[in-house]
Amino acid sequence: MTNMNDKIEAMLEKVQKASRYTGGEMNTAIKAWKDAELHFAFCFPDTYEVAMSHLGMKILYGLINDQPYSLCERVCMPWIDMKELMENEDVPLFSLESRTPLCDFEVVGFTLQYEMSYTNILAMLKLGRIPLGREERGENDPIVVAGGPCAFNPEPISDFIDAFMIGDGEEVMLELNEVIRDGRREGASRAEILRRLAHLRGVYVPSLYEVDYNEDGTIAAHRPLCEDAPEKVLRCIVTDMDSAYYPTSIPVPYTEIIHDRIMLEIMRGCTRGCRFCQAGILYRPVRERSLERLVYLAKELEKNTGYEEISLSSLSSGDYSCLPELIRALMKELEKQRVKISLPSLRLDSVLKDSLEETQKTKKTSLTFAPEAGSQRLRDIINKGVTEADLMEKVSDAFAGGWSSIKLYFMIGLPMENEEDLDGIADLAQKTIAQYFALPKVQRAKGLRVVCSASSFVPKPFTPFQWAPQDTRDTLMEKQSHLRDKMKGIKGVTFNYHESGLSFLEACVSRGDRRIGRVIRRAFEKGCYLDGWTELFSYDKWLEAFAEEGLDPAFYAHRERGRDEVLPWDFVDCGITKQFLWHEKEKAERGEITKDCRLGCNGCGMQRMKGVCSFCG
Amino acid sequence: MRIIAAYNKAVRLRHIGHLDIVRAMGRALRRSGLPVAYSQGFNPHILITFASALSTGFAGTAEVMDVTLTEDVAVEEFLAAMNRALPEDMQLSQAKIVTDVKMPALMALMAAADYEIRLTDASQAAVLAEKLDAFMQREHISAIRKTKSGEKECDIRPLIHAIRIEGDTVFACLSQREGDSCKPDMLMKALFDFAGMESGRTMVTRHTLYGEKNGALTPIMEL
Repeated sequence: MTNMNDKIEAMLEKVQKASRYTGGEMNTAIKAWKDAELHFAFCFPDTYEVAMSHLGMKILYGLINDQPYSLCERVCMPWIDMKELMENEDVPLFSLESRTPLCDFEVVGFTLQYEMSYTNILAMLKLGRIPLGREERGENDPIVVAGGPCAFNPEPISDFIDAFMIGDGEEVMLELNEVIRDGRREGASRAEILRRLAHLRGVYVPSLYEVDYNEDGTIAAHRPLCEDAPEKVLRCIVTDMDSAYYPTSIPVPYTEIIHDRIMLEIMRGCTRGCRFCQAGILYRPVRERSLERLVYLAKELEKNTGYEEISLSSLSSGDYSCLPELIRALMKELEKQRVKISLPSLRLDSVLKDSLEETQKTKKTSLTFAPEAGSQRLRDIINKGVTEADLMEKVSDAFAGGWSSIKLYFMIGLPMENEEDLDGIADLAQKTIAQYFALPKVQRAKGLRVVCSASSFVPKPFTPFQWAPQDTRDTLMEKQSHLRDKMKGIKGVTFNYHESGLSFLEACVSRGDRRIGRVIRRAFEKGCYLDGWTELFSYDKWLEAFAEEGLDPAFYAHRERGRDEVLPWDFVDCGITKQFLWHEKEKAERGEITKDCRLGCNGCGMQRMKGVCSFCG
Repeated sequence: MRIIAAYNKAVRLRHIGHLDIVRAMGRALRRSGLPVAYSQGFNPHILITFASALSTGFAGTAEVMDVTLTEDVAVEEFLAAMNRALPEDMQLSQAKIVTDVKMPALMALMAAADYEIRLTDASQAAVLAEKLDAFMQREHISAIRKTKSGEKECDIRPLIHAIRIEGDTVFACLSQREGDSCKPDMLMKALFDFAGMESGRTMVTRHTLYGEKNGALTPIMEL
């Protein structure tokens, strides 16, 4: 072990940002290896800076370490330089806390946040000396599990994962660990433990199912192979957010990461029903934490971390039922410690003014708004019920309140989009700038900066647009070019857009079936990893991987699906019915909006689970 | 009330840069619950200064910082509260209340520091040990100092207050003053060059920090 440590120390002198691999942060390594029976490696398939900004890891890290029988350590994706050194020096991927090789943990868990991080999963398994394919693993190999939003369509990586956890993780994570712990105590075989896991709500064990295909490549059936495997896997839902676990202590990194602050999850779920948004469906129903609970958590977290900023996190924080009161209560509690309160992307039609005034007393960051589409017609189609008047009012309030930095998020390639919709984006950017200059000079804060960001729409499973084709790459690039030209003339606006090849592959993988796993493995073997980083993304290698596996990417990204087609994720019951999603799709085609379900239940399917949603009919 | 304290930066944290250590210490102060003083103005920050920035890649056993508190606190309470709030790789070893109101900022008092430079290749140390006397007998030892505007040649002989080699380690007391310091890598490069060798890998740990009292080097904590 000392020899391994010496090798690692030598490697650390040669790499960029060695602090990514050294650990030792406050509130980590709480437990010694020998003091736990079950050792869980939480693997985030991206770099340290991204991993440490992720809320889910903080929750599960605290939860697993809190249990007397288990221990959780963190593992992140090494950067290119470290990965190559590890391969050359024959040093296995190790955890931050104790430098234990990944293969020595009983359970290895990955969080699935982004489809294009899947090659990193393979890279980490390989570096961690764990066989990539689940069928290749033996009795002494760790059980590899995965959770997070992308687990709702687990099929593309089902070749590599032993068990998926679908839905809210706080409860099922402990149930899973306990089954594994008890199984190992008894000396149960790996296969037996996996069969037992399949009995847990929300757990999908791919080895217990087989997929049959039609001649045209679509799915004929997704069949359970034994009685332990349920036909449909029902997602987990934590109903009471106040009694649900939430950490009061989180690791405090030394180095700069992306979101270096306390994240306070004020609620989960969203009632707005935007049709492109997968998170809005997957995290239903809306469940709030009470003001008292949040103030308590904020106080404890501040005491244990010493952070200077706290972010009120949720899908649509402006919708929290008593946001101004919450902000006032938090500021009162944390005033002495001078903690800044920030609000992530806010909906333009929520009651903001009071909240903005409250946060005014502390230093200003940039404000982000997401109109998503440039015209009311298209906004109605995607059910983003925000008007131009809403945007202008909020922008004007923000400028008047002393903010000078605004970010506007849009998507291009939305279904039924036309040129007028695109031009609307430039129009809104222009009008935003005009709001700033409409203010008397003395009221304007210095340093006007309006960033207009247009990502390419990727149709996602479990949304009304899950049947829709994605725009071809050529179309997307034309649209980007068109917008770039339009924005050039607008002074004060910066226009950003995303690499379309990456969006295309994301569309292939997010709606992929089991066969995509072969493509992912092939691409990885060709040298693909850290695909989300421009330095490394190789579009050509991915296309080659598709060709070599005899699959056409257009089948996944550009094909319009029929109503009766069996989709790869149909066997997952996310709470919302397929009929509801199709019904929403038809409303989109008619340009009809669906109101917020707080104003009246729309019958999405949640009502089948009595008592779970407080707004159900 | 001003209180100066010595703390360590363990080997595990040697790759953490000085600015990150400053921020970590600030957060520890906030966690400690001690009555920390903030600056005035639009962007208040904690009133904490450091004697000398420790280079990234180096560990330190007796780094010194200066903290301003709004109320008087006993030294024992300060140490206990801080060490509870700090990770095990960064712990305070001693603290002293500043009684002289006119005591300048720590950075202005900095004069020199003890360095322990361990060579990974012990055989290299043996060669250097042989050449050490001849090296130190020279009147001038030329070295390159990196400045903001580029590189400057300077004479480090007067900046080496003491030096000896024991086993695989070079122990040296080097001048550390604003604009006139000899960094360990400057010393090692000069030594390796003198011995006609390629620079070898080292692990550097800084120990006592010195100020000056009555013309003699005195540990800052004792000033």
